[in-house]
Amino acid sequence: MAFLIRTIDFTAAGREIIRDRVVEQASLTVGRAAECDIHLPDLAVEQQHVQIAGAPDGTLAVTALGTLGFALDGQVVSEGTIDPRTGGEIALGAARLAVAREDDGNVSITIRQVVADEGKGDALRGFALASVLPSKRAMSWGFAGAILLLLLMVPVASHLLRTPAKPDPTGKAAGVVLMDSAWSSGELSLKHHSLADNCESCHVAAFESVQDETCVSCHKDTGDHAPMGRLAKGMPSLSAGDAIQWKIGESLGKEGPLGCVSCHSEHEGPVRAAAEDEVFCSNCHDKLDTRLTDTDLANAHDFGKGHPQFRPLYFASFGAAKPVRASPGSVPVERSGLKFPHDVHMNARGGAARMAVSLTQYGQPLECADCHVLTPDRISFKEVKMEDACEGCHSLVSGRIAGGGFSKLRHGDLKDLAEDVAKISAGPRARIGPPRQRPGQPGSASPYRANFGRPVRAYIGISNALSVGGVCTECHLPTTSPSGQADLMPVNLPDRFLTSGFFDHEAHKKQECTDCHAADKSRAASDLLMPDLKSCRTCHLGATAGKTKKIVPSDCAMCHAYHLPAGQWQAKGPAPHYKPPPPLPAEGKSAVATNLTQVRK
Amino acid sequence: MASRVKSGAGGTGRFTQDEQRRDSDHVSFLKHKGFRWLWIALALNGAAAAGYLMIDQQPRPNGGTWYGYTLGTIGLGLIVWLSLLGVRKRRINPGAWSLKAWTSAHVYLGLSLIVIGTLHTGFQIGWNVHTLAYVLMLLVIATGIYGVVVYVRLPASLSANRREMTRAQMLDALGAIDRQLESAAQPLARAEADLVIAALGQDVFGGGALARLTGSYPGCATASALKGIGGTSEAEARVAALLEKRREQLAQIREGLRIRALLEVWLFVHIPLTIALIAALAAHVISVFYYW
Repeated sequence: MAFLIRTIDFTAAGREIIRDRVVEQASLTVGRAAECDIHLPDLAVEQQHVQIAGAPDGTLAVTALGTLGFALDGQVVSEGTIDPRTGGEIALGAARLAVAREDDGNVSITIRQVVADEGKGDALRGFALASVLPSKRAMSWGFAGAILLLLLMVPVASHLLRTPAKPDPTGKAAGVVLMDSAWSSGELSLKHHSLADNCESCHVAAFESVQDETCVSCHKDTGDHAPMGRLAKGMPSLSAGDAIQWKIGESLGKEGPLGCVSCHSEHEGPVRAAAEDEVFCSNCHDKLDTRLTDTDLANAHDFGKGHPQFRPLYFASFGAAKPVRASPGSVPVERSGLKFPHDVHMNARGGAARMAVSLTQYGQPLECADCHVLTPDRISFKEVKMEDACEGCHSLVSGRIAGGGFSKLRHGDLKDLAEDVAKISAGPRARIGPPRQRPGQPGSASPYRANFGRPVRAYIGISNALSVGGVCTECHLPTTSPSGQADLMPVNLPDRFLTSGFFDHEAHKKQECTDCHAADKSRAASDLLMPDLKSCRTCHLGATAGKTKKIVPSDCAMCHAYHLPAGQWQAKGPAPHYKPPPPLPAEGKSAVATNLTQVRK
Repeated sequence: MASRVKSGAGGTGRFTQDEQRRDSDHVSFLKHKGFRWLWIALALNGAAAAGYLMIDQQPRPNGGTWYGYTLGTIGLGLIVWLSLLGVRKRRINPGAWSLKAWTSAHVYLGLSLIVIGTLHTGFQIGWNVHTLAYVLMLLVIATGIYGVVVYVRLPASLSANRREMTRAQMLDALGAIDRQLESAAQPLARAEADLVIAALGQDVFGGGALARLTGSYPGCATASALKGIGGTSEAEARVAALLEKRREQLAQIREGLRIRALLEVWLFVHIPLTIALIAALAAHVISVFYYW
């Protein structure tokens, strides 16, 4: 077998020197030793390293002669086979022996020295994924920089550089701080939704919690539950965690647990602020007297189990300047100054009923609603006006008017009454005596005397009207004024009897009025017809009571509001549920009393 | 050897100590010290969940209650500490805090952040910087979970794919085939020679990240050269045989690249998102108190 051994060397100038020699042997040895057939002067090569032997099938068997292997086509082996037709490459040290078959059928072995691969380490780096992806460091800087710039620096800078504007309750002014909507932890409540683009209207100063002052700048009408000092005193002690949080928070300028935002938590989604539950109230009002020892309020914690008796407001004496609250458990005697037996008017078979049936404006026996009309807030009733409610039967008609129709006495003011009564005597009347008279002297029966004479009859008329048995005393109590003239007792009725709670009459319209107000059995106006706690509890029990067909679990907010004064909280009520303070009875007389005093003057 | 075993039977000999060390060296970081950090993480989560359920958070549970602040502080501390693994692993130093213990704690405490972070949110999610931080945290944890899974599963297949070759040897083998191809292709005509040139000239590491991850190289010049050289002459047959060898060698390298890419790709999300998370956390904490 002949091997063509071709050695390729390079000169210093880079020119190839090719030396061919033919060895006629069955096998070749390759090694560092000089006697080897292929001599490789390389310390990495063994003295006798590899033997290449021709096999009968034309392939070449390559065998390592020592313990050190060799690389065959890149793989380190200690023996291998090369088919000269496809070829193979043996690597020994820096030498590469390429085995191929020549056209003449001989096997050629081309020896070439390879230059040590300086870039091999670099090539291996290609195995790492980093070679085809952007660097982690660059990506990190990119992401972090974008986040810090857009979500921190831009809002902070625009907040610091803005000109602070006054809060705008209408929410029409857009905020000037850029990108701060990304800071919002949730949507604002429905009432504050118009402020969504104007964060700085509430978050006024940097690193300062939302201040009560800011809230009150719009919510001017909202009253305190009680003076701040008393609230703080009446509050139970905080839990350890809350105490620590508030201590830290207050030291950093947060307004303690009694600040607006501690209850009115915002950014909780587009909802209405819900009424607080029973526990919220009972936290303080259960055992309130142990902390707020001078309070007039009785303890309360559950409407069914612990709620004080109602104390309606009423006038305890005739013409009193102020109404008083009934003491618990007493039977109040109301001194309204009116005579009004409810039972007479409500008796379906009595005279009042018969009269009502005969009148077109009623057509049937009287009902409560004929006199008592609900106010729009559905809680109390409009003032009963004599002209609307009573006059249909208790007529003040005083005569016929010349052009048709009737004249009547005006109600409400004694001066008007006196004028109207005087007119009764002064009006044109039929002659009583003969028309004849002495010349130059007005006859006593003549119209002239009636028209221009002293109004004696009028005095008699008004005196009659105001005295017992007169038209006025059908309903009013007669009295004498400080100047000694006949007068009527002023009418005193409070606008609201239960002033600290709300009773929605509309919600109770399935009930009869008389189920709660014993008007059908009341024989005198001095009966205070307010129901007591027990009658409410037939249906209403505390929030923890189980709901049944009859029992309505009722938390405090069903009847009470936190902010005083305020309207009733209603889940679907119109907005806003706060309303201007109702006239406070405590400040002076009732509305009726006030009107009367003004009229007297 | 026998004497060593004998001397080590008492348990105090050097051999026994070495064996113990070797044993512990071969315990996975997941099982480190009998899952110590798993239990610590579970205890932390249990305590956090119990606190969340038992403590009355007014007005509602979220990051603004005292418990929310507590969870947030724990979470922030954990995130900062977890991100320091990158610093710790570059510091080769002895001590009680072995890197394995650190890694074990990194994995289990990182997983516990899912519970702590979620409870801190009070399940309030929105389009804001706060939820951005939360989502980034979850993404970092998710890529971390992926990383743990592939670190457990893939090294075996990477090893199997190597078939006792180093990466350098794979490249050498390809180089050897290429040199033979170059000489074998000498008799070929222009068109076929061009195909061989294209195959030889193509970067073995080319193809991009997607090709690496999927192991699919539609533009492989070696494959198209194999298709193009279908002649019957001896030279063409030889080139075809060499191209076939090249294709097989490439397949091995590419499979290695694919497994390695799957092993490494999560870090290209995990690390940048961790840094982004720290930035988002800074924005989250500062903004919350800026607009208190």
